[in-house]
Amino acid sequence: MQTKDEILEQIKATLAELFELDPARITLAARLNEDLEIDSIDAVDLLDRLRRQTGRNIPAEDFRSVRTIGDLVEAVYRLVQV
Amino acid sequence: MEGRQTYLWRIFATGACFALFGMGGLILGLLVFPATLLIPGGPGRRRARMRRLVQRALRLFVRVMTGVRAISCEFHGVERLGRTGQLIIANHPTLVDVVLIVAFTPAPCCVVKSALFRNPFTRGVVRAAGYISNSPTDEMIHGAVAALRSGDSLVMFPEGTRTRPGQPLRFARGTASIAVQAADVLTPVYVRCEPLLLPKFAPWYRVPPRRPHFTLEVGEDIDLAAYRGLQPPKASRLLNARLLQHFTERLGASRGYNAASGD
Repeated sequence: MQTKDEILEQIKATLAELFELDPARITLAARLNEDLEIDSIDAVDLLDRLRRQTGRNIPAEDFRSVRTIGDLVEAVYRLVQV
Repeated sequence: MEGRQTYLWRIFATGACFALFGMGGLILGLLVFPATLLIPGGPGRRRARMRRLVQRALRLFVRVMTGVRAISCEFHGVERLGRTGQLIIANHPTLVDVVLIVAFTPAPCCVVKSALFRNPFTRGVVRAAGYISNSPTDEMIHGAVAALRSGDSLVMFPEGTRTRPGQPLRFARGTASIAVQAADVLTPVYVRCEPLLLPKFAPWYRVPPRRPHFTLEVGEDIDLAAYRGLQPPKASRLLNARLLQHFTERLGASRGYNAASGD
């Protein structure tokens, strides 16, 4: 079972690799779109990557309300819980 | 310069073509397609049959449009359209572009505006032919990737909507993302229409003072090798910038493309 901290670390590593972002910018409060410039096309790439990493078929609907890194951590956490 | 009579005729012919297009869509969607369900074959074969049918119908429609002298058109290199896993991308100055391209590509798949799945004149056809809606974004990308990987040729307009006359070209990045992920071949088609017919924001009856002439030029394939090894977000950004530059250069060379209103 992963803790939320572990999920955050994993997301940081993924974002840094995919988008060449400075991990220091990836905080729980950071907004994907406004602060990190991750748009809807990037979101598709990101979800595809998370699907491969978690081995779960993450439904896109679960992520439509995701705005911040904190929301993303919560959404992944809920998924790996079940 | 043509006379007033010819001009009025072109307004009438343009309107009649619109009506014919709507009727054709209804007939294909409501009568012909259900009839093809009676012929044996699985969903895949049925869809392929519908795509061939749409292609033939549109080819006939192009012949009618030129026959009634609503438009004239010329084609260069269309024999290179319709290869396996080929992503065909075109600029989108007018409503007629998609008709011309689909008419001359053997049974392609196509990404179309989501509204066409609700429009009663088009919904039957776009569903039966298995076309892909441009919204929501994630479903469009996954649908397009799956179509290319299954070997379809796929027609997309990277602008996502008709060109805003007089404004610089803008490409949405979805097309580049799909190309990097799944296209075997990426082929540009440059569409020119002089003077401009049916651009964005213009009512159909405002036909230009001269008969619109369409030119469809199939360009050289664009090499994707340089983008394959990169992370997807970077690859699609680089390719999108390259495509935008490529189309802007090619179309900028043609007089009239950006001659906004044509008057």
